[in-house]
Amino acid sequence: MAVSAQAGTEAPGAAAVPDRRAGRKPPSPWRILKPVQGQIRLAMAISAGSALAALGVMVSLMLVIRALLERPDTMPWAALGAAALCTVAAYAARLGAFNQAHYAAFRLERILRIGLANRLARVSLGYVEAQGAGALAKVIHDDVKALHVFVADSTPLYARAYVTPVVTFALLLLFDWRLALVALAVLALGWGILRGAQRRRRDMVRAYNAAREKVSAAVVEYVQAMPVVRNFDSGQSSFGRYQAALDGYLAVMLDWYRAAGFPARFSWLMLGPMPTLTLVLGAGLWLSAMGDLSVPRWLGVLLACTGMAEAMMPMMMLRHMIEKVGLSVARIEEVMAAPDLDAAGAMPPGPLAFDPAAPALRFDRVRFSYAPDLPPALDDVSFEVARGSVTALVGPSGAGKTTVARLVPRFWDVTAGKIEIGGHDIRTIGAEPLLQQVAFVFQESFLFADTIAANIRIGRPEATEAEVIAAARAAQAHDFITALPQGYETRAGERGVFLSGGQRQRIAIARALLQDRPVLVLDEATAFADPENEAELIAALSELMRGRTVIMVAHRLATIRDADQILVFERGRIVERGRHAALVGQGGLYARLWQNYETAQNWSLGAAREGI
Amino acid sequence: MAVIGKQPAGRSGASSFATMFRQLAESVGPEDAPGLRRALFGLIAAAALQGLGLAVIAPLFTAAATPGGLDRALSWFAVLLLLMGAASALRWRAQGFDFDGRMVRATWRLRRRLGAKLREIPLEQLQDKRAGEMNAVVLGNVDENLLYALTVLNLVFAAVVTPFCAALGLMLFDWRLGLLLLAVFPAIVPLYRWRRPALGRGKRILGQAHQEASADVLEYTQGLAILRAAGRAGEKAARLSQTFQKLEAIQVFGHRKGAKPNILVASVVELGLLAVLMIGVFLVTRGSLDPAALGAVFVIVVRLSEPLSTFILYTAMLEVMEAALERIGALLAMAPLPQRAPAAMPDRHDIRFEAVSFTHARAEAPTIRAFSALLPEHSLTALVGPSGCGKTTLTRLLLRHFDPQEGAVQIGGVDLRQIPAERLNDLISVVFQDVYLFNDTVLANIRMGRPEATEAEVRAAAQAAQCLEFIERLPQGWQTPLGEIGGRLSGGERQRISIARALLKNAPIVVLDEPTAALDTESELAVQRALDALVARKTVIVIAHRLSTIVGADQILVIEDGRLAQAGRHADLLAAGGRYARMWAAQGAVKRWSAGR
Repeated sequence: MAVSAQAGTEAPGAAAVPDRRAGRKPPSPWRILKPVQGQIRLAMAISAGSALAALGVMVSLMLVIRALLERPDTMPWAALGAAALCTVAAYAARLGAFNQAHYAAFRLERILRIGLANRLARVSLGYVEAQGAGALAKVIHDDVKALHVFVADSTPLYARAYVTPVVTFALLLLFDWRLALVALAVLALGWGILRGAQRRRRDMVRAYNAAREKVSAAVVEYVQAMPVVRNFDSGQSSFGRYQAALDGYLAVMLDWYRAAGFPARFSWLMLGPMPTLTLVLGAGLWLSAMGDLSVPRWLGVLLACTGMAEAMMPMMMLRHMIEKVGLSVARIEEVMAAPDLDAAGAMPPGPLAFDPAAPALRFDRVRFSYAPDLPPALDDVSFEVARGSVTALVGPSGAGKTTVARLVPRFWDVTAGKIEIGGHDIRTIGAEPLLQQVAFVFQESFLFADTIAANIRIGRPEATEAEVIAAARAAQAHDFITALPQGYETRAGERGVFLSGGQRQRIAIARALLQDRPVLVLDEATAFADPENEAELIAALSELMRGRTVIMVAHRLATIRDADQILVFERGRIVERGRHAALVGQGGLYARLWQNYETAQNWSLGAAREGI
Repeated sequence: MAVIGKQPAGRSGASSFATMFRQLAESVGPEDAPGLRRALFGLIAAAALQGLGLAVIAPLFTAAATPGGLDRALSWFAVLLLLMGAASALRWRAQGFDFDGRMVRATWRLRRRLGAKLREIPLEQLQDKRAGEMNAVVLGNVDENLLYALTVLNLVFAAVVTPFCAALGLMLFDWRLGLLLLAVFPAIVPLYRWRRPALGRGKRILGQAHQEASADVLEYTQGLAILRAAGRAGEKAARLSQTFQKLEAIQVFGHRKGAKPNILVASVVELGLLAVLMIGVFLVTRGSLDPAALGAVFVIVVRLSEPLSTFILYTAMLEVMEAALERIGALLAMAPLPQRAPAAMPDRHDIRFEAVSFTHARAEAPTIRAFSALLPEHSLTALVGPSGCGKTTLTRLLLRHFDPQEGAVQIGGVDLRQIPAERLNDLISVVFQDVYLFNDTVLANIRMGRPEATEAEVRAAAQAAQCLEFIERLPQGWQTPLGEIGGRLSGGERQRISIARALLKNAPIVVLDEPTAALDTESELAVQRALDALVARKTVIVIAHRLSTIVGADQILVIEDGRLAQAGRHADLLAAGGRYARMWAAQGAVKRWSAGR
């Protein structure tokens, strides 16, 4: 638990909020390392040590030969020992750095995942819904996993890429400054040309990413819509879009090869070991012919000179991957920076005292926009719901009914005005106590990959088995549950049995019954029931609604004929309110909706055909 | 699991290279296969020449260190320059396959081929979710794996061919030193191949752990609202923390397991280096080796050990490439549903299911069992039954997303398997429950039903489908791209566009798969009118949720567990008092329910 506390305080990204939107360039992946900074620094230090020891091997080898040249008949034990020691040390340190970096990477993954999961427990549910559960799961799992190539594989290489070239060059200078300059010149030439090739790199990368994105969008469309594609298109237009995306990608790639191909190819050749070796050999030949170079020094240069480019090459190869990591970091930081729901209001300590005289639920001049630049989804909405009454929200699609339903459990917070439960502004209650007042059943219910009993009990973990069964009975679920192979212990969900939409919904209702919250929000709770389940589902809902304050969104108007209050929405405002009979009598929007509904109900495909 | 299991664990170097080359050649196609072959042999030859060039350093350096050996050293230097020049020229030429854009073009052609393939393979293979995603991955990413092929192979050759040739070359100079190198370095490759299964095991364990963690994370995000209402999210989501902790433990374990072969190979390199060092020094002290020659050998050994120690990194990339090539091969090898001779086209449009039985590829029990029915031309047939009973499977059999294992489906007396695939699609129009609109203009989305339709015909279809009014209200009217505003259209509006598309197509057979299930009342009314226009004078199959919509059907087929349970008209079925009557009663009860008291 100490670790997750640490994750909470050291949450990366919290500090990064201000500059998150500053540029479109992906952020540097370094700052995501913060929680495991110490260990990564250790890994890099060990890696640097390994690089130094590897150079020590070169020096020792040179010393071995120097000793042998002077006294060919004696074993040069000291130099040999140094060579062996440095070899072992370099090897052990490389391994150690590799291991440290990997363990740090694994630890970082856990810390970030727990941090992200904790963050999601505090943001508004609207944020979760807008981002999509799948996309958020991808951030927690895939994006965090994508850090691996950077944290585990690259950090030790970074240390080496910085330490080796500098120390190597110093060493070469020590051996022979002229040969050192030859080696440096080759490196500089290769490097210079490579940088030249990368001058337009930013544009190229942008064009490349755009072309790639188009290809993946076209692929997704093409593959997902294949049944439609085949039926309507014989593949012409969507295949055409796919091909056009491929053409665009090809053009970008060919353009890149034309612009950067030669320098890339040339510098690749120069930075390989052979040109340096050849030139150092040639220059050495000349110098030693002039009698100006000793064999051991020359050898020392030959041993070490290729190390500079060699240490830098892996970074070049990893660069592309590290840039991709930057995109994952950006997504992780975005989730970490999502605003806290509770930050909006102060939470009074102690148990909540509800005013029994206040209405169970009250909307007071509520205004709400999904984003500052969007027109309000709700405008000046005020209404009261008496304790134990049923209020129905109706209206054409997009009128704001679902928004009202989602504001009550604080999926979002109002832009202006306020919502009260039992006399308390819901923003002051705190997310958890609020959810202990409000239960909701939406279109589709989610079941955990656990037993049915556990799925019901999640509403109240301390509930006894008898209580669970009683709730299931009331929710009309007991019969089908006991018919399952292992009854209440049957696993639901992915690896479990198939349950129809109506059956899942009834389990959700059993859960809500067990939770026993005073306020109930229903949004199209019967939408996905199959015909045979619908009757039972409705019986279950009636049971759940009994004695509770209910606010419900319904498209099927017959279900709300007897509601205590019907609120008719149009374009974010309440345009009519009252009971069914009165509203039908008014001859306004509700009357029209009702008439449409009746016509739609009585429609029959075959009947229309016979008229033709 | 099966896919991983059948991967060849211990292929020998040569045969795995041959396999890879064959797959590569198949992927780049016949146009570029010879060029690719030349490029690969060029890279191998360059690596070999580079090895020989390294070997030349020994006589060169020895001669230079010997008083009076300058002339000999200079001629060896000339040989070195020659070998280096030749190696560079060969490599330059070979890399031209990448840099002249031939590889990019080849992958471009490959992706077009794969895309065309997707239009032919049985839809069942595509709609299997996992396989479908896999194919999307193949189409989306595979070319990238191939684009690195030459680069990676070049590095592998440098790690394998170069040391081997350097050792051979060194043998000519001093057989003992050559043998020493030969004993150490090329031995690493079989050693690595031998240890590879352990590497794979580590990866497999890790892959499984990731899969489980990923499922748990998804469950957490999907169930977040419930968990929070129950006060079990965040710090209190004990199960999720456990999952993450377990994942970390397995990562550490898998890392240790996977690292072992790497450590083994790297240790051999390091020990080899030390062995060469000791034996070389020993030979010098015995007077049988020139110290300068030993120095030159050190230079060679150091050069060789670097690419070898990173060899493992490249082999990981090789494995990714191998897996990609295998997937491409599998997709290219997928056969379309067989076309039976003689090809025929029906001249009337009644539909007959004749003792059809069908079992999904991975299912245990059949979805459709001995199903027989006749749907007369211009009649309306409704399929009803509980969810999962096989209604949708029947329509998919008619669309030939797959073929039945037994029995036959016929249109106008012609077996579907005799009708050419693209002609079959001409006969049938489908309105799906999930509307799919394409990332194109409104006009193009409707016109794809019949590309040659005139503007007036498109308008007429849109009008009949009750689309005209809202299309003309859109910011750019008919030219509005749906990709940008797709989200702003309501479900009913989207459905009506899809109906306009089906109307324009004007196929003699219409399949409606719960087209009004998820609509609000206002949309529903408009969609109903659009549907009335669509089904006139057609052979219609409808899957309906609400029984009242199909009371007027010419024939209602009640399906239960893949079998035909009842058939007849609404009134007859009600009178018969079976399954259908019960469903009707249940829906009636629902209709009367109201939420007040």
